Amino acid sequence: MSLNRDVVVALLLLLLCGVFFWESGNIQLTDYGQLDSTVWPRIILGALLIASLVYLWQALRGAASEDAGAAPQAAAGAAGGGSAGTGPGGLAGWISRYRNALLCYALFLTFLLTLPILGMLLGGILFVFAALTALGRPSLKLVPLHAAIAVGTVGAMWAVFTFGLRVFLPEGVLFSFQ
Amino acid sequence: MGFEPLIGAFGEVFSPYNLGLMFLGVTAGLIAGSIPGFTIAMAVVLTLPFTFGLSAVEGLSTMIGVFVGGLSGGLMAGMLTGIPGTPSSVATVFDGFPLVRRGKPGLALGLGVWSSFFGGIISAVVLVMLAPQLARIGLEFGPWDFFALVVFALTITASLSGENLTKGIIAGLLGLLIATIGEDEVNGVARFDFGFEPIEQGFGFLPVLVGLFAFSQLLSDVQDREQARRPLMESSARAVRVEHLAAIKIVAKNVVNLFRSAFIGVFTGILPAAGGSISNILAYDQAKKASKNPEAFGKGSPEGIVAPEASNNATAGGALITMMALGIPGDVVTAVMLGALLIHNVQPSPTFISDNAQLAYGIFVAFFLAHFIMVFMQAFCLRAFLMIVRMPMYFLASVILLYTAIGVFALSNLTYDIWVLFIFGIVGYVLKSLGFPLAPIILGVVLGHIAELNLSRAVGTNDDLTLFITRPWSLFFLIVALFSAAFPWYQRNIGKMRWTLFYIPVASLALSVPLIMMGGVVRPGIGLLLIAYALYKLYRHHKAGWALPQKAGDKSAAETA
Repeated sequence: MSLNRDVVVALLLLLLCGVFFWESGNIQLTDYGQLDSTVWPRIILGALLIASLVYLWQALRGAASEDAGAAPQAAAGAAGGGSAGTGPGGLAGWISRYRNALLCYALFLTFLLTLPILGMLLGGILFVFAALTALGRPSLKLVPLHAAIAVGTVGAMWAVFTFGLRVFLPEGVLFSFQ
Repeated sequence: MGFEPLIGAFGEVFSPYNLGLMFLGVTAGLIAGSIPGFTIAMAVVLTLPFTFGLSAVEGLSTMIGVFVGGLSGGLMAGMLTGIPGTPSSVATVFDGFPLVRRGKPGLALGLGVWSSFFGGIISAVVLVMLAPQLARIGLEFGPWDFFALVVFALTITASLSGENLTKGIIAGLLGLLIATIGEDEVNGVARFDFGFEPIEQGFGFLPVLVGLFAFSQLLSDVQDREQARRPLMESSARAVRVEHLAAIKIVAKNVVNLFRSAFIGVFTGILPAAGGSISNILAYDQAKKASKNPEAFGKGSPEGIVAPEASNNATAGGALITMMALGIPGDVVTAVMLGALLIHNVQPSPTFISDNAQLAYGIFVAFFLAHFIMVFMQAFCLRAFLMIVRMPMYFLASVILLYTAIGVFALSNLTYDIWVLFIFGIVGYVLKSLGFPLAPIILGVVLGHIAELNLSRAVGTNDDLTLFITRPWSLFFLIVALFSAAFPWYQRNIGKMRWTLFYIPVASLALSVPLIMMGGVVRPGIGLLLIAYALYKLYRHHKAGWALPQKAGDKSAAETA
């Protein structure tokens, strides 16, 4: 029996159930109300636990049939974490496959962390420019185009929300005059 | 209800500002619907931040415009390039694209536009007539019945939204679990904050929804590096003149097909989770079966365009019926609309139509009007669509990623909401990559509060738990939930396992019980009809010696042999 991706996910779900069950013990019990605050979450967790066990059972059965038929593919799936048999395996293959998503998350995280300093306008322009440059073809010719798109679109969105919808978007300490 | 709310609704919907918003909404929907990779739900989700500064009627009208435009926008891409813009227009391509290749693009587009229009109008009439009636039935519901209805909605969503029922159920339960995080609405107690103070306020439904759905979808769209850099469509399609008159004449000749498809669409829309992506294929299939000329299907048959386009627009009316009558969203789009109503402190429930008559009429009127605007704007949007599809996906994705951040911030002016968006963007992307459907999670998040509130009310009213199976409506929904959960197994084993012969008769017999329990004349009458049908089916199987039916493919193979 080998460990395929679904088995790992099922085990993680069981772990999640365990953590939440444990945390549900910290929910304050009140002497008012018709239903304790722990009841509904525990009903859900009970159902999730059963569903995760069924999923684990199905995943193990799947792994057993893969063992009989295509063991190497199952092993590749477990190692790669992605679909078996596609692209290069291992960590390099995984990073290559999810490169764009990882880049976007990293850039968005940077944007969020710098939001209090740069504000929505400047931070937004830098984020869009960086995302366009990271996702697009590596060419110097595209830099002015990406910069123009970033300034134009973010400027327009910022103006619509600030002046049209009267939303106070974060200014950032760099631009805060108060 | 008198005429004042209707007159008031007309006044609000037809105000110049609202008309402008609806034109913008329909245009945005038409363009978004025509872009492969952009779903209608995503377009409606992205519209939401703009609507919170508007009145409820204005916000809902804009969203309805996007919804109707999106349903019709998919046909442009499908017909001109062979790639459907949305899953709702997959079947349109089967005959639309061949008709375009036969040199009749104007007629193909005209047929699509007018079938969408008439399908939508038929569903709008059904919406106006049926929603108040259904709401009247909804008034009979107690908390037990509402709780069972939520269970049914989640079960059917889980069973219809993916190949793996277990994953669908897990997704729905994860949605319910997410909804429990933060302050408990019933007792005001913090739950699952893990000692981290910001989580005590919980996760706003809309940042979760935008993160799970839009953010993760955008990252899926740019996952393939080369694909993301190429134009959205590499085609030589060009703008054409839509042949309106010729199309209307053909649609008029297909009036039976039009009505059948529209009713398939409405019925599919009423069912939770079953949207335009299912109805367009169902309607196409039925049109082919009923056609005198089925061999023409797939070669540019007008009937094959009328059916899917009429049904996918009619689905919108069906989905609105459930939302307005029962306060239960049937899909992601109506879940977002429900979110928009909540922003305006309007609680959808069976009393929604009577309590908020002007808003309800406003939705009806806006739904009608959106179809007229759609026909008007289609020709203009064709050119915009041809310009936009020459852009690479990464242009759109980068800009919209930031837009999602601005949008969710604008909901409550909290940077915390952008963090929630970011985290659920990751969660959505990971779950999607692992094959978990996202629709049940979203419905779980929306319905979680409704379920808990009704469970609490039910237990508070009477601690007798047998009421969940002794009250007719509750029993009815639980039975439907049970059989809808078993439906994927039934479908997989038809013709293979003997127990499948009993599935429909047993389901009919089981459903007859609560219907007879409801009393009156009509419902027990339907119950008796169901019993008669079940007995007839069993008799037929008995006569056939309990032989398993052959599947169509097997039958033709046997005939060939």
